[in-house]
Amino acid sequence: MSIGSRIYSELRGDRTIWMIVAVLAIFSILSVYSATGSLAYANRGGNTEAYLMKHSVILGLGLLLTYLTYTMPYTRYNRASPYLLILAILLLIFTLAGGAEINSARRWIQIPVIGITFQTSDFAKLALILFVAREIGRHKDYIKDFKQAFLPIILPILLVCGLIAPADLSTAILLFFTCLGMMFVGRVDLRYILLLLFLGVMLFGMLIALGEFFPGIIRVETWTNRMSSWMTDPDGGYQVQHAKIAIANGGWFGDGPGSSVMRNYLPAPYSDFIYAIIHEEYGLIGGFLTLALYILLFFRITSLVTKSQKAFGAMVAVGLTILLVGQALANMAVSVNLVPVTGLPLPMISMGGTSTLFTCISFGIILSVSKYVETLADKQKAN
Amino acid sequence: MTIKNEVLIRMYTVLVFVVVFALFIFVRAIRISVTEGEIWRERGKEKYVQVRSIEADRGNILAADGSLLATSLPFFDIAFDPNSSGMAPGDFDKHIDSLAYCISTFVDPSLTEGAYKDYLDSLREAGKQYVRIKSNASFEEMLKIQEFPLFNQGQYRGGFIATPKYRRDRPFGLLAHRTIGYVREGSKPVGLEGYFDETLAGEAGQQLMIRVDDGLWKPINDLAKIEPRSGKDIVTTIDVDLQDITEQALYSAVLDHEADHGVAILMEVETGAIRAIANIGKTRDGDLWETYNHAVGSATEPGSTFKLASIMALLEGGYVNLEDSLDLEKGKTAFYEETMLDASAHMLDSTSVRRAFEISSNVGIAKLVQQHFGDGEKAEEYVNLIRSFHLDQPTGIEIQGEAIPYVKEPYSQDDSWSGTTLPWMSIGYEVMITPLQLLAFYNAVANGGIMVKPYLVSEVQEYGQTLEQFPIQVLSKKIASKKTIAQARELLEGVVLNGTARGYRTEKYNFAGKTGTAQLNYQRLKDRTRVGGYQASFAGYFPAENPKYSCIVLISNPRKGGIYGSDVALPVFRGIADNVFLSRPDMFPVLNDMPKGVLASNKMPDQDVGRWSDFEQALTALNVPYDPGSPAEFGVLLTDSVSLNIERRTIPEDRVPNVVGMGLRDALYILENRGLKVEVSGYGKVRQQSIKPGTRLRGQTIRLRLG
Repeated sequence: MSIGSRIYSELRGDRTIWMIVAVLAIFSILSVYSATGSLAYANRGGNTEAYLMKHSVILGLGLLLTYLTYTMPYTRYNRASPYLLILAILLLIFTLAGGAEINSARRWIQIPVIGITFQTSDFAKLALILFVAREIGRHKDYIKDFKQAFLPIILPILLVCGLIAPADLSTAILLFFTCLGMMFVGRVDLRYILLLLFLGVMLFGMLIALGEFFPGIIRVETWTNRMSSWMTDPDGGYQVQHAKIAIANGGWFGDGPGSSVMRNYLPAPYSDFIYAIIHEEYGLIGGFLTLALYILLFFRITSLVTKSQKAFGAMVAVGLTILLVGQALANMAVSVNLVPVTGLPLPMISMGGTSTLFTCISFGIILSVSKYVETLADKQKAN
Repeated sequence: MTIKNEVLIRMYTVLVFVVVFALFIFVRAIRISVTEGEIWRERGKEKYVQVRSIEADRGNILAADGSLLATSLPFFDIAFDPNSSGMAPGDFDKHIDSLAYCISTFVDPSLTEGAYKDYLDSLREAGKQYVRIKSNASFEEMLKIQEFPLFNQGQYRGGFIATPKYRRDRPFGLLAHRTIGYVREGSKPVGLEGYFDETLAGEAGQQLMIRVDDGLWKPINDLAKIEPRSGKDIVTTIDVDLQDITEQALYSAVLDHEADHGVAILMEVETGAIRAIANIGKTRDGDLWETYNHAVGSATEPGSTFKLASIMALLEGGYVNLEDSLDLEKGKTAFYEETMLDASAHMLDSTSVRRAFEISSNVGIAKLVQQHFGDGEKAEEYVNLIRSFHLDQPTGIEIQGEAIPYVKEPYSQDDSWSGTTLPWMSIGYEVMITPLQLLAFYNAVANGGIMVKPYLVSEVQEYGQTLEQFPIQVLSKKIASKKTIAQARELLEGVVLNGTARGYRTEKYNFAGKTGTAQLNYQRLKDRTRVGGYQASFAGYFPAENPKYSCIVLISNPRKGGIYGSDVALPVFRGIADNVFLSRPDMFPVLNDMPKGVLASNKMPDQDVGRWSDFEQALTALNVPYDPGSPAEFGVLLTDSVSLNIERRTIPEDRVPNVVGMGLRDALYILENRGLKVEVSGYGKVRQQSIKPGTRLRGQTIRLRLG
């Protein structure tokens, strides 16, 4: 038996999703290697392989985590989710109060012994989605009730998003809409969802007001700058213009791997603007393929929901997928100047530490759910 | 509706939303890449990323002694990229305070530290990639700014951008300005800079650069970078001191005589190396400046200095002897009804050829030439002799735009050769030549008939290593017979001893040469109206017996203080020659050239006190006989009329010793060993000590005066 077919038989769950993970990982290696050129010159004396190695190690570790979370029965997360959420909230408060500041945003905490930085919002996203999924599942029979179902769900959402927003508004908004999406799919009354949306806007308004008093913690100025440059300049701000040049340079088929010029110019070409680099090197074809992979993921989850019986599993899978695909779309939309500049990486593809690892864990949980649904379907067939 | 259906419908709604949004993204991408593609690609190519050339460091122009005549000083435009892609996360925020402090303290005090921080913060936020910190910073300033916090992490991590530029600098200011020349965009290259442009320029490098906001370019670290190759240095023959002397002398002459311009060239006889070349002219504003290289670029009618060529042609053809008698017709004659006058009135009828030359008689020389070359086809022989003196050839000096001499083709209609051409040509009219070309001819006479090519550049160097050497070039091994040359030199010496130049004779050394006073824009009008001014010149060499340097001085259109070469140009020649002698003691004959007696010098070290062994060593090494006496630790040198003796000197152990006459090393050794503190002033040997010898030792401070 060849290794390939052995892996194939070992890996249960949705094989299309496995394939998506594998292809995204390959895309990631290719584009990160190309995009880290200038970073390699800056930090490693031109040793471009250094970043490739680092990224490969993190990606390998991430895929291992994917496999581990995949093997774990997802029901365990159900029980753990309240504790995870409490831990996440504590970490968020700690980060805001005294976390490490990188790129003038307070999003990270330093893990003492190992010395790596840890973006707490990555963990909080996962914890919140698990918790919301659990709550939707727990209250599914009376989900349209305001007091019993709606309130217990929205309070943690507002709290977590409110804590993430000061330093990382885009993540908070993304997470907020992910939860809205979950509640929408979880049959919460539409009026309540509109109410929650309203509350979210109120919270945002409060943050801006607070920003007057805590300019160091709440980055109101950044938000307004980015917003106004997006609104006023039809060509887009400085970064966006270069992203556009990159996309245009790529044409239909791209300039070929490693031949990006704009990577030298775009800020964080290995993360925020990696989609533009993919376009430059692999053209519209490459851009479309990348986009299609995420959309395919969404289709697979939709089909999974049609099969799933258990509300928690389905909700977890839906939540994580909305988050991943939503983040992917948001990242791409920045490069094509559809939305203002955000700092969101392209999940699985961008170079990153904790964000890559948590993306991998998310995929593991999705796969775990899909494995369960699959075995269930098999059993039903057997019966 | 079942629960499952409701979930599914809602899920499909989200799916549709996602797909629509994805379509939006893709359509947008197509729009950017295809519809607007050309626009963006153009922007990318032309405005944002380009392979641009990096200026190479231009080579130096060195004087003969290696001092810099022209060099390229690097200076820098220093900028900061607050959004450098390589800036490590957090570094900006960590260092911005101290960086702002450094900039506001050391570079630009117009903004406070806090204001600078806000400024940089706002630019970083705005995505700027190029913030000008300092323009035209010197190399030292650049090094200092480079050490600022954050900047010290380099271009990619620290966002520090230093773009080198080069400015041409002349450490000696205007010295040899025009000869050194320049290369400027939009104007013709001038001088050595122009002639050796390719050697000096080096090769520009290439680097991928991106445009930043305000039309500035920032280099991208790229493997395809081609380093610029620095230009090579050229070593000129210019002697800085002699050049300075020459310019000074010429400058004051042009100023005093209110002349249009002046030229002076000083050349080494044997090699043709030009040691000094000066051109002083008047600018439109009336200031004096090196405006044009007349020495090389202007061919004019030389006037009387050309008579040397004529007399040499007569001598070489064997037509005259120096002592032949000649009728000068009291300084006035006519050729074909054209009157020729001698420059200054005299009443000489009959005199010798030698005398006619010495007093620079136009009539005399013209009559001789007309007499011997005026018949039939003989003018051709005269012109051919002139040509054999290379007077019709450019020298090939390494300066662009050398004028070509104009010597008329005999009997040529095109050159409007007429019956009066030959006599006038013989005295330096109807012929055009540059000062340098004429000097080369005089130099050949001084050099025993060997004509060497005048040159300004002796070698090309790179990093102090010689790459190419330009050897002495002999243009003609013999421009005339030995006898002719010897007679020519005799005549030129005669001009100084008895002739037109005798007013500036000196006892200190002998020089030889010929004066010239030419009418500018000479027109032999019927009414004898003189158009234009005069050109005063003197060409010659020194010392007359063993010529080392040849020199020509030419002053155009003097308006004040005389018009004659002897009054206007000769003093400059003398000024230059005097100073050359002052700076070259080896050119004086040695008066007491005989072996010196051992004790002939008055500077014997009488009464010097020092270590016995040191004296022995020094005197032995210098081969000075001395009487060693009986050795001790210290001794004193005593000189009498016949011998040098070392006498024993005892230094008391318990009393302040006498150290007068000692060197400081010995005095310190002795005094400090006896517990005294020593203060010293002056240089040389101990002259005075502040404590009397024989005083009891108590660890006092003793002051020594050296002298």
